[in-house]
Amino acid sequence: MTTILGIIIVICILLVIFYVARTVDLTKELKGESDDTVPASNVQGYLMFGFLIAFFIGITWSSMYFVPKMLPSPSSVHGVAIEKLFNMTLFFTGIVFVITHIVLFWFVFKYREKRGAKAYFFSHSNMLELLWTAIPAVVMLILVVKGLVTWLSIFPNTKTLPKETMVIEATAQQFKWNIRYPGLDKDFGARKIDTAHIGIATPDVWWKNELGIDWTDKASHDDFFADTIYLVKNKPVLMKLGALDVLHSFYLPHFRVKMDCVPGVPTTFYFIPNQTTVEKRKELSTLPEWQKINPATGGPKYSTFNFELACAELCGRSHYTMQKYVVVVEQAEYDQWVKEHTPIYASIQKAQQAALDKDKGTTNSTQPGMNDSTKVVVDSLLDKKTAMK
Amino acid sequence: MAIEEIANLHAEIHHGEHDDHHEETFLTKYIFSQDHKMIAKQFLYTGMFWAVVGALLSVLFRLQLGWPDTAFPFLETILGKWAEGGKVSNDFYYALVTMHGTILVFFVLTAGLSGTFSNLLIPYQLGARDMASGFINMLSYWFFFLSGVVMFCSFFVHTGPASGGWTAYPPINGMRDVAINKGSGLGLDLWIISMSLFIVSVLLGGLNYVATILNLRTKGMSMWRMPLTIWAFLFTAILGILSFPALLAAVVLMSFDRLAGTSFYLSDIVVNGQLLSHHGGSPILFQHLFWFLGHPEVYIIIVPAMGLVSEVLSVHSRKPIFGYRAMVFSLMAITVLAFLVWAHHMFVTGMNPFAGSIFVLFTLIIAVPSAVKVFNWITTIWRGNLRLNPAMLFAIGFVSMFISGGLTGIFLGNSAIDIPLHDTYFVVAHFHIVMGVAAFFGMFAGVYHWFPKMFGRHLNDTMGYIHFYGTLIGAYAIFFPMHFMTGIPRRYARFDSFEFANNFGGLNKFISIVAMIVFVLQLMFVINVVYSSLRGRRMKSINPYGATTLEWTTPVEHFHGNWSGELPEVHRWPYDYAVNGQEFIPQTTPLSEGEISHS
Repeated sequence: MTTILGIIIVICILLVIFYVARTVDLTKELKGESDDTVPASNVQGYLMFGFLIAFFIGITWSSMYFVPKMLPSPSSVHGVAIEKLFNMTLFFTGIVFVITHIVLFWFVFKYREKRGAKAYFFSHSNMLELLWTAIPAVVMLILVVKGLVTWLSIFPNTKTLPKETMVIEATAQQFKWNIRYPGLDKDFGARKIDTAHIGIATPDVWWKNELGIDWTDKASHDDFFADTIYLVKNKPVLMKLGALDVLHSFYLPHFRVKMDCVPGVPTTFYFIPNQTTVEKRKELSTLPEWQKINPATGGPKYSTFNFELACAELCGRSHYTMQKYVVVVEQAEYDQWVKEHTPIYASIQKAQQAALDKDKGTTNSTQPGMNDSTKVVVDSLLDKKTAMK
Repeated sequence: MAIEEIANLHAEIHHGEHDDHHEETFLTKYIFSQDHKMIAKQFLYTGMFWAVVGALLSVLFRLQLGWPDTAFPFLETILGKWAEGGKVSNDFYYALVTMHGTILVFFVLTAGLSGTFSNLLIPYQLGARDMASGFINMLSYWFFFLSGVVMFCSFFVHTGPASGGWTAYPPINGMRDVAINKGSGLGLDLWIISMSLFIVSVLLGGLNYVATILNLRTKGMSMWRMPLTIWAFLFTAILGILSFPALLAAVVLMSFDRLAGTSFYLSDIVVNGQLLSHHGGSPILFQHLFWFLGHPEVYIIIVPAMGLVSEVLSVHSRKPIFGYRAMVFSLMAITVLAFLVWAHHMFVTGMNPFAGSIFVLFTLIIAVPSAVKVFNWITTIWRGNLRLNPAMLFAIGFVSMFISGGLTGIFLGNSAIDIPLHDTYFVVAHFHIVMGVAAFFGMFAGVYHWFPKMFGRHLNDTMGYIHFYGTLIGAYAIFFPMHFMTGIPRRYARFDSFEFANNFGGLNKFISIVAMIVFVLQLMFVINVVYSSLRGRRMKSINPYGATTLEWTTPVEHFHGNWSGELPEVHRWPYDYAVNGQEFIPQTTPLSEGEISHS
């Protein structure tokens, strides 16, 4: 009902505008004034000048209102460099934006059609054209050089990374992330992308091993899945990225990290987080926008701030739900966190045992210390077991 | 044989035909017309139809973005299973976004813009009776029409229309029978068929435009005497001819992957715990092929708008365009560079960073010819006597939009800055302003300016002014604040899964409301076009603006052949305004004694 009413109102407004506009133009035509464009140009000159002023007021106001709501400052080393480059570009483009707009609309106002006025024949000037080819060229050159220095520094040779670099594997699929840590040996078990390892039940691998982890590789035995990505402050991270089904993109907005996850094409991203989550909250607590109360928690917004992982490449109907938290801590806390995790291999063995127990009538698929991803694995394992019967 | 002779020969042949007075039926005059003017109108009307459809889709998905938790029962009424409970389903949300992009980029801003004005102006401004081949020209329109029919049908199939993004990236679009995305079934098959037909249309049209421009210029119309519109259409056609085949190759290979089990774009894919048999391909290959079209495509959209704007600014400033040759050379530079920047859409696909650096260099170099054009436009209106009618206002609005949107391209073209900005609302703001809104402004400038040439009547000025200010303010209100959503991923149906992205609920509502208002304003433009073409103010003289170019020497009534007598002869360049104490001197006026030809 409201829809129909809305449509009727819109049609009425359109009709009113139409009849008024028609009358205005017909009147002008009857008076024989429709070829005289001077009065209209005069009015339009003022209106365009008014637009210029309103435009700049709008930009100033919206900047004041929205900038505090934007993403907080970067929490990674390269993120800071990108921010610098961004601000430098903003400086140059801002100058051009303001000057060209003032000049453009000022000319529209100043040279609006006047009776008897004559335009000035000015068809070219090599000097001027040279000037405004050379100046943008020089500015662009500066931006290219600065940009490329930053860009190439973000992608170091992955073979010569610092020794303490921690490697984390993120494999995306519709619509979740599989985050795998290499465990205490700091070495991932190999993955085999073939039907012997993926999706086939064999005597020793009889769960949905979508990643194709090779259990005969001993390095895999202490690998574990994590629900939350834990990073260590000032410790370099190399993300090994991949996808199982479609394109995804590994996006850490607060760290200015983004890299596509491509089925069949491994990608990496190297970065150094330079703030712990606690430090970030402290930093944000000084900003008025973040002192506002979050209605969901009842506390100030900064107190519940968290780094997040998102998907940035359209991957299907639930693309917008691929969320995980990222936590940056000091080394000691990280070590403690690692210890709390049960390796995938151990979980499977436990679950295998549990499945056997289930046959005997005791059910307990949820092991203490097991995280969600592992639980899924175990659940699917139990399903499979039931299905196999 | 000299070019002039060919032109004359062609003219004689056509002239002879005209004298024969062969009867034109309704079918040959209005439907299967081979007359460039009628084909231009067909492109205009079809483009307008698709513009309304495309904009309507954006209103529907703006409802979702503005009020993600509100149910709109009327949506279920019109969309049925796609909006159960009055909420657009995710599948359909992505279908809306995908089709909005496809329709606006290809059907409206490629066919609707370039198709309309290339057809209308190339023969008119060159002094030709028609296109080099009227028949191929007709085919070009009908392939476009057919492609539209197929695309329209895809809205009504059980899978819904394509929903994997207008870029149609595999693997989500590359696997037909794997149920990972509803629209990737029959909907995408139809999308591929439609795009293939569309590419045929663009190629037929483009070859015809190039052939006509090179061969059918009237006597005296040397290349350096062509208006900038024609230069723009020439470069647009060249861009289209060289880049669209890459898209055809891309979608044909994708069809093989989808239907014949090949693996051009697919490798190591695991769906529901099962490894698919596709092996050895790369999804990145598709992206290279796609953007080899995709980037030139944005210039295919903006270059004709640049041409129209250059002409409109000059005519209504009563001044020559500033730096005519610099304008041509900058168009040429843009055309060449357009082919060397495609991978700037792919900085974060894992491409070799060194390769990325080269694309950064070329991408930022494009800013130089673009800057030259902007400064030349501004200098063109300096010390003019600006007739501020709706056409002129839209041309000025174009310059403003092109500056605003172009400058943000300098951020995105720099690969390091692109890392956080890629696939976020900053990109949405950038390309909508610089390529969407700016191209629309160029198109509106063209429609308001050449409407009398098309229909012998003027558009209603009052509605034109309302349309202009509403669209200018509305477009900035919609897209400018999106720059503040830097870092918020695009193509999200809702933002509440994330703390960092859920900060702009109020802004999203505001944008949605403005989008609806702007949509209604465009309906007013449609009303204006339909009404004015039938009942609008009649054209009193054949040259209402005091323009110099040849299209204003033809009679108001349209007939096949354009000029009833001899073809006009050109003696000077097209921008003799405010020269020799005269307001303007048409191109057909011979040089006066002692006068030196400008070119």
